Amino acid sequence: MNHHRRLLAAGLLLVLTAGLCVHYGATYEDNWPYPTGDQLAEEPAGWDGERVLLFGEVQERTGSGLVMTVDDDAGEVARTITVQGTAADVERGGVVQVYGMLSERGTIQQAESVVVVNRNPGDSQYKLGTSALGVLLAAGLFLRYWGIEWRRLRFVRRSADDRGERDG
Amino acid sequence: MADVLSHVLLAFAVFTVIGWAISWLDREWAVVGMVGAIFPDLTRLGLVVDDYVIAQTLGIPFDWEALATVGGVLLLSAIGAVLFPSRRTQLRAFGLLLAGSSSHLVIDGVKAYADGANGALLYPLSWWRNPTPGWYVSSDRWVLVGAVVSALVVLAVDRYMMADSGRQ
Repeated sequence: MNHHRRLLAAGLLLVLTAGLCVHYGATYEDNWPYPTGDQLAEEPAGWDGERVLLFGEVQERTGSGLVMTVDDDAGEVARTITVQGTAADVERGGVVQVYGMLSERGTIQQAESVVVVNRNPGDSQYKLGTSALGVLLAAGLFLRYWGIEWRRLRFVRRSADDRGERDG
Repeated sequence: MADVLSHVLLAFAVFTVIGWAISWLDREWAVVGMVGAIFPDLTRLGLVVDDYVIAQTLGIPFDWEALATVGGVLLLSAIGAVLFPSRRTQLRAFGLLLAGSSSHLVIDGVKAYADGANGALLYPLSWWRNPTPGWYVSSDRWVLVGAVVSALVVLAVDRYMMADSGRQ
């Protein structure tokens, strides 16, 4: 495959990938069984009496549960929900998934099941930090064994000499 | 999803072990599989270029989450593969990138959801959500500890076998 065909193929595949992200975004609400933050903001009472799965950021603990905010696509608070019936070990700023019935115009959720995704904001930093390390490790090892030939836009094997290793 | 470092280390362990049975799958190809294990986490591009900003700018829906699905990793693996020099290396690269990213999706497939069903990993083939045993959440430290131990054990055995068999 020459340089021009490689560039064309990679470009076409990138366009297809972007198209997949567009299609996913366009069809998500119709196929995800629960309301999104945007839907809750538009129709607060639309899911009252239904069991839903929501992701929220914990704002405070209460005697019988917690208060969490659910964001919309823009990252703004779409709904503040009082979750009842959970003793989940989570701090303010943590992230939880809550499954249970909504009521009172989407402001009360009776928890049937709660998963603590991030116990506190430090968990989020931990995930970002270890993920950055993972990318650096994979990219570093890849570039140890493969070089980039920019002129022909392709990867090429490095020899053992390039890697500073000796035969034998 | 588990953190990227865990995915990359587990991919290292898996492809190194498979390499014991497949002669061409040496370290330089195992690292290609490790790069594939990053692909589903390219959804974190949303931290750099927010989905909402793209959607507002272009006036069309957009969701990076499509990259953490079967369709997303197929396309990303194809993009990576065309950057390899020959037909044979492209096929190997595609297989390893896809295997690496599939290992990521399989591990993601057993993480905890409060309603007991996972994300729609099979998109665009289906929006079906697999039942999950809920073995972990992405901030669980034991996942990374297990991945580090697995990688170190495999590395030690690989070193021993290489020395024993005289492989480079």
